Amino acid sequence: MEPTQSKKRGWWRPELGLALALLAVGVYVIAGTLNVEAATSVVGLGPRFFPMLVGGAITVVGVFYVIDVVRGGRGDPEESEDIDADAPADLKQVGLVGGVFLAFTALLDTLGWVIAGSLLFFGLSLALGAEHRVRAAVIAVVLGLGTYLAFVKGLGVNLPAGLLEGVI
Amino acid sequence: MDSLQLLLDGFASALTPINLLYALVGVTLGTLVGVLPGIGPAMTVALLLPVTFTVPPASAFIMFAGIYYGGMYGGSTTSILLNTPGESSSMITALEGNKMAKRGRAAQALATAAIGSFVAGTLATGLLVVAAPAVVAFAIAFGPEDYFALAILAFTAVSSVLSRSVVRGLASLGFGLAIGLVGIDQQTGQARLTMGIPQLFDGIDVVIVAVGLFALGEALYVASRLRHVPPEVIPVGRAYLGRADWARSWKPWLRGTALGFPFGALPGGGAEIPTFLSYATEKKLARGVAREEYGKGAIEGVAGPEAANNASAAGTLVPLLSLGLPTSATAAILLAAFQQYGLQPGPQLFDHNPALVWGMIASLFVGNAMLLVLNLPLAPLWAKVLHVPRPYLYAGIVMFAALGVYALNASAVDLIVLFVLGLLGWAMRRFGLPVAPAVIGMILGPMAEIQLRRALAIGAGEVTVLIKSPIAIVLLLLSALALLTPLLRKLMARRRGERITPGSHPE
Repeated sequence: MEPTQSKKRGWWRPELGLALALLAVGVYVIAGTLNVEAATSVVGLGPRFFPMLVGGAITVVGVFYVIDVVRGGRGDPEESEDIDADAPADLKQVGLVGGVFLAFTALLDTLGWVIAGSLLFFGLSLALGAEHRVRAAVIAVVLGLGTYLAFVKGLGVNLPAGLLEGVI
Repeated sequence: MDSLQLLLDGFASALTPINLLYALVGVTLGTLVGVLPGIGPAMTVALLLPVTFTVPPASAFIMFAGIYYGGMYGGSTTSILLNTPGESSSMITALEGNKMAKRGRAAQALATAAIGSFVAGTLATGLLVVAAPAVVAFAIAFGPEDYFALAILAFTAVSSVLSRSVVRGLASLGFGLAIGLVGIDQQTGQARLTMGIPQLFDGIDVVIVAVGLFALGEALYVASRLRHVPPEVIPVGRAYLGRADWARSWKPWLRGTALGFPFGALPGGGAEIPTFLSYATEKKLARGVAREEYGKGAIEGVAGPEAANNASAAGTLVPLLSLGLPTSATAAILLAAFQQYGLQPGPQLFDHNPALVWGMIASLFVGNAMLLVLNLPLAPLWAKVLHVPRPYLYAGIVMFAALGVYALNASAVDLIVLFVLGLLGWAMRRFGLPVAPAVIGMILGPMAEIQLRRALAIGAGEVTVLIKSPIAIVLLLLSALALLTPLLRKLMARRRGERITPGSHPE
């Protein structure tokens, strides 16, 4: 994917991270299952058998995946309408979008959906390169308020009112 | 005929004013969201799941049928008017469709896609009416070991067919199976892999998985590689088809339907292979003008694949409704929608809830007709949707993803799980892991476990019970074949020194 990068760092490739994560998941499934107490009064298999099977299979696939990546195998990065597949991955952007999302998660219950949701939209559109700040802010507020009214008042879905409790 | 009577009852329920309204809302939302770039049918259904939470089941599934078919229609508009491959299923349509549009024949390309989708969708839904009860009659005799073998077949087929690299397909499946294990074991009440977090005791909701892997994963992926020049959208008027184009289109429609339906019904078949086959068939059969135009925008190359695409969507519903077996990511999410209402598709569903099943099937016909009416005159309107500035589009997608997930349990823990799954979805896209196996593994994994334990309980612990029935043996052999075929193909290709055709792209 990024030939210069893989050359520079020798055997390390970014995909190795994902392969090792899969391996870790396999080990975790096995280790986590060992703690599960087997009930005594069950006919047939207990709650451990299937997870051990799956954990074992994941670990085996994980080992093959790691080997494949180290030997230089790779998949095709997904193509999409808005993707520049040849561009190097911009991790800063991913971090920015992720940060905005996590901040939204932390603030949602206190601020309520209308404010937190509007801030989420505003933050993300700026992070993704929206040029008009004012327009982005207006759309954000309209969407935040509109979804709240439509889903809470219209469809009866449960969203937090937060600071605006009693106002709308 | 029995099922004909049931279908008529279904129509009676689908044609009530309120359900017609739900169908109309479904097809409109489905088309609207399906047209949005970067959103395939699977994500369309996942994002719109929360909308149906407060609707009674029968109406909800009528709406879902509309969303499902609407998402397919919307996708083809995107691929014809934008010169970039969209979701895998309509990628082939873009090959000739976009070239037609560039030569000023966008209206005809859209019309043959819409009418072809209508013809194929109607015929294939008719085939579904015949095939589903037949499969149900056959599946009544299935024991738990057969269902377990069926799940194994779905796992292996979907992992090996959807990706050029089998190990990446299996890796995706592994992530999905692990996610499916989280939660309390239903038979013994033991908590598994919950890390002691009480919110995880009920397991991870499939809406979170689907929305995380598809919507948030896509948004993060787009953020990492945003194309800074907006893609060029070809302007289009009302979609229509001249007499000569009708003559050139109707045979490819029928051939596309014949290819699409059976492939859609097979585990791992999906829409990619039949659309590709249809494209190749039409190319081979092209004579005269068509032959000259092929590669420069031949209408046959749009009509055939687009029909195949929609026919496979109907085909997918055969194993889904009659066996509870999802063969694509979209089908897996539809299965989850059934589970939301405590319904388990399979022979029992036809027995216990005939009104619901046949109402849904009838509304597929209704929705298809609505989509034709909606798509021909409104094509210019849908084309406008393509101009939405990308920062707003993806910010909006994430906002709706967060809304849908939070609405499930009003819990911030779900949003954190969503974020983690979004990162996983991003990594999978970046490194070319297909997403469908993860979604199918997550949903089918727990069902496979139940059937396995049931089979082994009946067999009093004897493992050989799994290969006692001939059906199970055949299914397990097919699974082994599904895993070995790509290896054999690679060996053969290496021997011939040829490159394998990139047949499929993961959703």
